[in-house]
Amino acid sequence: MVQKKCVAMLLAGGQGSRLGALTRYIAKPAVSFGGKYRIIDFPLSNCTNSGIETVGVLTQYQPLVLHSYIGIGAAWDLDRSNGGVTVLPPYAETSGVKWYKGTASAIYENINYIKQYNPEYVLILSGDHIYKMDYSKMLDYHIEKDADVSISVIEVPWDEASRFGIMNTNMNLDIIEFEEKPKSPKSNLASMGIYIFNWSVLRTFLEIDDNNPESSNDFGKDIIPLLLEENKKVVAYPFKGYWKDVGTVKSLWEANMDLLNEETELELYDRNWRIYSVNPNQPPQYISPTAQIEESLINEGCIVKGNIKHSVLFQGVTVEEGSVIQDSVIMPNAVIGKNVIIEKAIIAEEMVVEDNTIIRPEKNKDEVILVAKDV
Amino acid sequence: MPQSMLGIINATHELDTFQNLTAHRSIAALPFAGRYRLIDFMLSNMVNSGITSVAIFTGHGVRSLMDHLGCGKQWDLDRKRDGLFVFTPDGKSKNEEFGSFAHLAKNITFFLRSRQKYVVITNSNIIGTINFSSVLDYHIETDANITEVVHNGESLQTYILEKELLLSLFEQYKDQGYYSIIDVINERLDHFKVEKYDCKEYIAIIDSLNHYYKHSMDMLQSTAYHQVFTKNEPIFTKVKDEPPTRYKTGAKVSNSLIANGCMIQGEVENCIISRAVKIGKGAVIRNSIIMQKTQIEDNCVIDGVIIDKDVKIESGVKLTGTRENPYVVEKGTVQKGS
Repeated sequence: MVQKKCVAMLLAGGQGSRLGALTRYIAKPAVSFGGKYRIIDFPLSNCTNSGIETVGVLTQYQPLVLHSYIGIGAAWDLDRSNGGVTVLPPYAETSGVKWYKGTASAIYENINYIKQYNPEYVLILSGDHIYKMDYSKMLDYHIEKDADVSISVIEVPWDEASRFGIMNTNMNLDIIEFEEKPKSPKSNLASMGIYIFNWSVLRTFLEIDDNNPESSNDFGKDIIPLLLEENKKVVAYPFKGYWKDVGTVKSLWEANMDLLNEETELELYDRNWRIYSVNPNQPPQYISPTAQIEESLINEGCIVKGNIKHSVLFQGVTVEEGSVIQDSVIMPNAVIGKNVIIEKAIIAEEMVVEDNTIIRPEKNKDEVILVAKDV
Repeated sequence: MPQSMLGIINATHELDTFQNLTAHRSIAALPFAGRYRLIDFMLSNMVNSGITSVAIFTGHGVRSLMDHLGCGKQWDLDRKRDGLFVFTPDGKSKNEEFGSFAHLAKNITFFLRSRQKYVVITNSNIIGTINFSSVLDYHIETDANITEVVHNGESLQTYILEKELLLSLFEQYKDQGYYSIIDVINERLDHFKVEKYDCKEYIAIIDSLNHYYKHSMDMLQSTAYHQVFTKNEPIFTKVKDEPPTRYKTGAKVSNSLIANGCMIQGEVENCIISRAVKIGKGAVIRNSIIMQKTQIEDNCVIDGVIIDKDVKIESGVKLTGTRENPYVVEKGTVQKGS
């Protein structure tokens, strides 16, 4: 194998249990977002746009849809003869099946994958977040700072800081302390779950961690505190821009609604930073004379005869006459019958909503309704 | 056995009936229905009929067509065995018209090497769904020598015959003064059993600007749309990774086909809007075809117009044409405001 400067490892094995029925049969990174995409399109497109062309994708929970979606990586231009995408599910060896117990053990079990490229740096990513980021700038920063490890951080509102992994830094942005979900946070710099390691450091610490039976084999809980204990140079890389963990039905809905803001921070129309995805190849959307559409995102293959306000329609959705859809997300190939009212809801893929159905939250109740199979 | 058909698409047409829409592209590469090129329809029909070996014979000026086809990946035709073959003219000989003896003689190796039993021959400017496996079944059932595909009695110049027959006709008549194989068949009709396969679904031949406009607008009718765009026989095309189309405040869209990546703030009625088109505030667009990446600024009034790719229409410009005589705006131009 030709040596690579930087290899990315994308953690995509998470269940995303708080997404309920949306992740019953698919892993969280495969959840639909933004009228066309799946969550994993964002980190994969970021890799391509950042010039990182060797990406190991670690899968475990419900991998069928994810595996077939990623394929050989052609959608992201990652079908390369040297490098490209490699899907890395857990495997068995003579001593038994090596399930990924935590984020660190997932990487540890695939040390041989990284070894074959003998990189200088390893970029560790999560397949759970929506954001656009130039990893090559973070790598430049990491090199310039002469760090062992760089962790990308984002400023979160102080009153929400206790929900995140918080990095306490000195003036030089060296991380001096890591606190997972602190009750009284000393900083509002939250870890985005994006790390750049010097490969030699990563390897050493993964091995130490693996030898510790007490460890939960997690980057945040185990590896980072150990690095700090051993006085390694761990620096924070401050990121500005849109970043969202779409871990719940509500936050997934919010992230979709964010796209409809006049001044959205998540610009999907930037030709210099395309978000690539597997194209559904459906005909253009047909908007009938009875349709009314405002403030919405609508994808190809839709047939719209109803009234769409401030909503996101994925590919192949049909909305019949007399229906009103407001502040909602309609996932691929759902069929909405006649005279239906849908407000503040997520309708899952392939769902059929019968004529005259009303789906909306109870008055004065701040909730998002999820309509999916088995709910 | 579906592998037993060889697909041949004639993309050599160079008609001057499209005004400047075909100044920079072959007819086969003419954008259609917001995200396709004309050739996508017959190419997809072949692939959907299980044909894995397709040869496209092109005319001159193939840049946009070649850019579109690439290695055939979008149609699953990037293969080790069979796949997509593009034959361009070499410019040396004069009588190179598609199907002529001279033309066939030049490309005879392709036919001799292929292992398929039957040959399907069609044109690149036909819109619609034709299932060639059904045509082949009919051909075999009726024990025909040649099956001609027709629509409402009109010939689509689309044929199925055995490759051996094609080759033997070639050998037999190449030195007898005939211009093309079709001439031989027409003059010696009594020698052959020619059957007609009637396509009942929507089919259109795009051979002039008027027909281009008329049949583009056909796609706004539910029956035509659903017969051309079916779930089981999708029309494949080059993908562009455009985001979904965004409708902003002020957007008012009626009876239109809108491709991805558009940004709409104005009024659109009875239109075909291609990918990544921008329509400004207060703009009113009716009965028009707007091609890829064109920008229409605020308060423009456009009716009965075909606007080619990458055009910029500045604020307040008024352009009018008619259904019979649509006004055409050339690719890459700027229409200045007052």
